[in-house]
Amino acid sequence: MKRTSLKLSIAALALSAAGAMPVLADKASDTLNVAFTKELENVDSYFNSSREGVVMQRAVWDGLIYRDPVTNEYKGNLAESWSWIDDTTLEFKLRQGITFHNGEVFNADDVVYTVNFVADEKSGVKTQRNVNWMKSAEKIDDYTVRIHLKEKFPAAIEFLSGPVSMYPNEYYAEAGPSGMGLKPVGTGPYKVTEVIPGQHFKLEKNENYHDSPKGQPTISKIDIRTIPDVNTQIAELFSGSLDMIWQTPADQAEKLAQMGNFTVANESTMRVGYLAMDAAGRSSMDPNPFTDVRVRRAVNHAIDRKAIVDNLLKGSSKVINTPCFPSQFGCQEDKAVSYDYDPEKAKALLAEAGYPDGFKTEFYAYRNRDYAEAIASYLNAVGIDTDFKMLQYSALRELNMKGEVPLSFMTWGSYSINDASAMVSQFFKHGSLDDARDDQALADLTVADSSTNPDERIEYYGKAINRITDQAFWAPMFSYNTNYVFKTDVDYQPTPDEVLRFTTMKWK
Amino acid sequence: MTHADSDPANAIEIDPLLQEVMGPTPGQLLRSRIVGHQGLVIGVVVLTIMVIIAIFAPLIAPHDPYAQSLMARMKPPVFLGGTWEHPLGTDHLGRDYLSRLIYGARVSLLIGVIAATISGVIGTAMGVAAGYFGGKVDAVVTFLINVRLAMPVVLVALAVVAILGGSLTVVIAVLGLLLWDRFAVVMRASTRQVREREYVAAARAIGASTPRILLTEIMPNIANNLIVVVTLEMAHAILLEAALSFLGLGVQPPTPSWGLMVSEGKNMMLFEPWLVLIPGAVLFILVLAINLMGDGLRDVTAPENRS
Repeated sequence: MKRTSLKLSIAALALSAAGAMPVLADKASDTLNVAFTKELENVDSYFNSSREGVVMQRAVWDGLIYRDPVTNEYKGNLAESWSWIDDTTLEFKLRQGITFHNGEVFNADDVVYTVNFVADEKSGVKTQRNVNWMKSAEKIDDYTVRIHLKEKFPAAIEFLSGPVSMYPNEYYAEAGPSGMGLKPVGTGPYKVTEVIPGQHFKLEKNENYHDSPKGQPTISKIDIRTIPDVNTQIAELFSGSLDMIWQTPADQAEKLAQMGNFTVANESTMRVGYLAMDAAGRSSMDPNPFTDVRVRRAVNHAIDRKAIVDNLLKGSSKVINTPCFPSQFGCQEDKAVSYDYDPEKAKALLAEAGYPDGFKTEFYAYRNRDYAEAIASYLNAVGIDTDFKMLQYSALRELNMKGEVPLSFMTWGSYSINDASAMVSQFFKHGSLDDARDDQALADLTVADSSTNPDERIEYYGKAINRITDQAFWAPMFSYNTNYVFKTDVDYQPTPDEVLRFTTMKWK
Repeated sequence: MTHADSDPANAIEIDPLLQEVMGPTPGQLLRSRIVGHQGLVIGVVVLTIMVIIAIFAPLIAPHDPYAQSLMARMKPPVFLGGTWEHPLGTDHLGRDYLSRLIYGARVSLLIGVIAATISGVIGTAMGVAAGYFGGKVDAVVTFLINVRLAMPVVLVALAVVAILGGSLTVVIAVLGLLLWDRFAVVMRASTRQVREREYVAAARAIGASTPRILLTEIMPNIANNLIVVVTLEMAHAILLEAALSFLGLGVQPPTPSWGLMVSEGKNMMLFEPWLVLIPGAVLFILVLAINLMGDGLRDVTAPENRS
């Protein structure tokens, strides 16, 4: 009884909010209202590292290649076809008759300009990994272009279908990243009509969109607002001034689904949560229990990952045993050593390692405080006493680079790149974020990363994964999922790569 | 000897001076004023209950406040259709809400008492010194008070905790070192008044040392003001701790703290408002009780200052 009255009062609240706000949303005005949780630093996708930036990038610009998110097949987008000339040279035949939103014609000059600009370290592209494998581009004729690689890089096609999008050379030379951020111009399915930095973005359908594998846009206008608070987003969804929210926490999404007025769709993402342990003994902890493989295995056995996935993450999240996301090329679950939830075994391993009463350690996290708390509680139960510290991502990353973190709950989204190198090679090749510093993993990964023979890559990623999980350098936890909540008159099928695709959204 | 009380007929004839002597003693007067002061009684009773709960938390709490059960998350409290297994429901990790509230009382009271004590010692020492000695000492203390008053407490606390990292010790230390301003201001003013009294002059005349005058003549006569400031600052410290914990910079999980509980419940506010309302209400009651007690003590101990 009381619960119903509660719901009613919420509904009343929502109604009053609806009265106060002009309702611009909905099918009638052909405008889809969407909320972003985080502020977008810059709409220029090369100077942005957030997920929201990726969404904008896919809507406003195109890459040479497109990967179908369902079949994972590579299709030509701005390029009609491509071929490897040798191990470090790719040649593209460009599609003709494409114009940018400002009327500029797309041709080889644009590709050459864009690639040469972003590949130059001095340009300061935010995520260097996305572009630093390219050396330069060379124009063969108006619609033929070659991209030269610095060294062998098998994942080139994947990167070209993802973060590397093509900019108009004349406009970009004049406007630069800051001009592009305020008045973005691309070839994509949507053009930007208004930008209030960090707050509000208006997109309009590109009527002249080329015959792209992304499909043709149908909804005329997209109105995106930054609303950091989830409760406010939900209230606006109730009041009708929003049509779609995403990245909604599992508990709220579940409640919204029960209400029946909204479609709640859930898709897995490539983001993997894991516990990083100071196996190399870089931190000032003395004695450092994590240098002992038995302690690291004990940590792996101590946590009931299934309970966390079933009750906290829910949706399509899964327990992960690999130091990479299983759909990634080379990420083989059968090569990984898996550890069951067995607190008794964890205690026995700790005792064997000389810690019968457990030990005390700092435990860092930067997101999902509740997951981290649940993990800490499992660790406490086997005697690992945690001194919990929640930091901002940038602060924790810096501390990690200095090697001062004994134990932390981290996550990695691989920039949605479907290749194991985007995760396992990022962390186990003796970089500043490598807590293990294991020579054997380094050797295997070096072979796997630079080989152009797929079978050899699979073999060596398998070896590395086996080594890393056998030594329990990490405790892989679970994969994340994203909830998409939208009005029932919106038709949308989310994809597993955590990118909102406005092009495939329709009114019912 | 006239037995006035045994012989009502003679009572009218009693000398007014004698009547005053025969009236209630100061102790009796104080007692009747205390009992007659509703706010004070309510404040003391509520606070006493809270203190008892905090001290005997392990005996009273129905569950271990740290025991998590992910299968039993966010069970509603009894009055919203829950079961008596968890009278106030469970939180987002399936921990018993009532037990966490009970243990949270320990954190709040501990922070309130210790922070108020630290700042009380600092502020009183500064205020009494400034008020008694005057001159250069007063100038320095007044300057320090002005400097301190120019700094917004919450911002400074936020900055310090952000640098040092949040923990119970850090929060107590930061609040203790920040909240002495009111002690210093009030103690300085009270000491200046008391300093001029005859009994202080008399003590000085018979050759009492300065520490002796401060401790036995000044302090007892400004203690009632001190008690009022202590209660105010206790309430202030408890609220600040809740605010810092709410912002994630105070007491760190899994330690139960009311501010942290409000913060953890915030995301589900729209669907499960009791997650926020219960710790919020308890925090409100505790701070109200402390303030009622402080107000009441001032009324009772120094009625002449009250219009």
